[in-house]
Amino acid sequence: MKILIAEDEIDLQQSIATYLERDGNVCEVASDYNDAAYKVDLYEYDLILLDVNLVTGSGLDVLKKLKKDKRDAGVIIISANSSLDDKLDGLDLGADDYITKPFHLAELNSRIKAVLRRGKYGGDDTITFNEIMVDTKSRTAYINGRALSLTRKEYDLLVFFLTNQGRVLSKEIIAEHLWGDNSDLADNFDFIYVHINNLRKKMTAEGAKYIKTAYGSGYKFIAD
Amino acid sequence: MMKEVRLIRKASQGFLLTSALLMLLSTVALYFYVKQLMQQEVEEELFSTQARIESALQLSKPPFSLPPVLEVEQVPEMGTEKVKDTIIYDPSQKEMEEFRELVSFKNINGKNYKITVRNLIVESEDILFAIILSYLLIILLVILIQFYFNREKNKKLWAPFFRNLQAMKTFSLSSDTPIPLEKSRILEFNELNKEVMMLTNKVRTDYKNLKQFTEDVSHELQTPLAIIQAKIENIINGDHLNDMQFEHLTSIQKDIQRLTQMNKRLTLLTKIENKQFVNLEQINITQLIEETVQNFHEISNAEIEFSVMDKIGVRMDVHLAEVLCNNLISNAIKYSPQEGKIEVSAKENSLTISNKGIQALEHPEMLYSRFYRESETVKSTGLGLAIVKRICELYGFTVVYSFEQNKHVFSIKFK
Repeated sequence: MKILIAEDEIDLQQSIATYLERDGNVCEVASDYNDAAYKVDLYEYDLILLDVNLVTGSGLDVLKKLKKDKRDAGVIIISANSSLDDKLDGLDLGADDYITKPFHLAELNSRIKAVLRRGKYGGDDTITFNEIMVDTKSRTAYINGRALSLTRKEYDLLVFFLTNQGRVLSKEIIAEHLWGDNSDLADNFDFIYVHINNLRKKMTAEGAKYIKTAYGSGYKFIAD
Repeated sequence: MMKEVRLIRKASQGFLLTSALLMLLSTVALYFYVKQLMQQEVEEELFSTQARIESALQLSKPPFSLPPVLEVEQVPEMGTEKVKDTIIYDPSQKEMEEFRELVSFKNINGKNYKITVRNLIVESEDILFAIILSYLLIILLVILIQFYFNREKNKKLWAPFFRNLQAMKTFSLSSDTPIPLEKSRILEFNELNKEVMMLTNKVRTDYKNLKQFTEDVSHELQTPLAIIQAKIENIINGDHLNDMQFEHLTSIQKDIQRLTQMNKRLTLLTKIENKQFVNLEQINITQLIEETVQNFHEISNAEIEFSVMDKIGVRMDVHLAEVLCNNLISNAIKYSPQEGKIEVSAKENSLTISNKGIQALEHPEMLYSRFYRESETVKSTGLGLAIVKRICELYGFTVVYSFEQNKHVFSIKFK
């Protein structure tokens, strides 16, 4: 996939690019408003990451321009402002998703894949990995065509693993993905462990042993 | 403590007090002065009568008496002349009466005469009393009228002061406009206004700057935090890492998360204080708290029990209602000992949440202060209850903490 990262903080921009390129994506970067507007005008992207506060202008203006020109790239807004208004403004203007700084790259990756999956950018509603197939529309997972009975959290966990294959996911990242702001309560009790273990058992029962432990306390979803 | 009195009342009291004192003193003075005057008058009259009688006797007219007012008699010896008060029987009134009497001795044509002239005192005393009474009545009337006019005048004079005082009472730190103080024709009032204006404007800008500072810091921290977090994730996904390094890195992730949480909460606090939540919706708090508890079941072992669950309907912002329920439940979970039961009840219009505890808080008054924690054993931002308090203040709810039967109890009374 071809992704444009419009972010004026070079360090962050590069970190995002590094992470996404590992999945075989082609990343281009824009460090200010003019750069972003220029690139958006000239090239086609599957997805654009747009920082709201670009040095020389607003990311939202780039978004307006995209929508005016009826370009069909997916757009995820990145903002340092967790305010609801910004979020609603962004989504009203036609952004596909919205993420607040600071965020986990795994979380961003997961959101990017979700946006790309949505039919309108040529993706489909399923995620396939070897014998595993997930229908994101009906929120059901199949192994060798047999439906798994998963709880809501186990399903979310599986999709998160699938979209971050081969990545080491710490419990902190997983907890935050599943419970957001309440995740600080989760690390008092080993709840993630329980959820992961349940998912693992259900998958192993069907012969799918992909959830591996990494560095003692982290997890990795990987084919042997 | 000194008793406080209203300004107008105090002024009136002072006026009445001095007036009464003046009235008393002047009446006494008047009494003695008039009395003295009348006595002189009476005595003058007695002397002139005596002189007339004397000249009549010199003209060899036969002496005559008209007791009790006039008595002339021949006496063998001369005495000394004197003026005194005496009480004798007055046949015309048929009772004992008080008289002023002048007794004088005169040698006229070789004969000694004792001439006694008297004047009824009662008469002059009646006049005296009449004078005093009229004086009292007049002065009383004057004082009353003065008092009334004074009070009205004072009220009018102080009116701008009172109106400005009222305006100052409604002053709010977070208000965007200065206090609407009224200009008056009194120099001191205007000076006072100027000073108050200056002070309040200073306080307002300071407060605004402080808020802006909090907002800016929170906002500016997000980007560096994002960079650190992104870099850590790339390190974790790089090669050549050992378990120990991984542990350290995930621990840093945890701290970043704490910072992020703190930032979010500080921003939320500022937003509540800025009154940026203006969407009011009808919310069923009871249902919301049940949903919140449901969500927490996935991440917490804590046993949460519902007792009475009356429906509580409240008009407030949805997001804030969620935050309110969330913070109360998560606070109870955090500070509840393992195995400790958490109880939730909704009765009439109060929501009560309690969790077990060993002892009451040492400083319950600090409970809602930012960053206040009684124990370091629990990881928290120390902002959860401050937010609860602010939300309650915003909508006029009351939140009460108590420690009963080894339980920390939080009770929110909705309007």
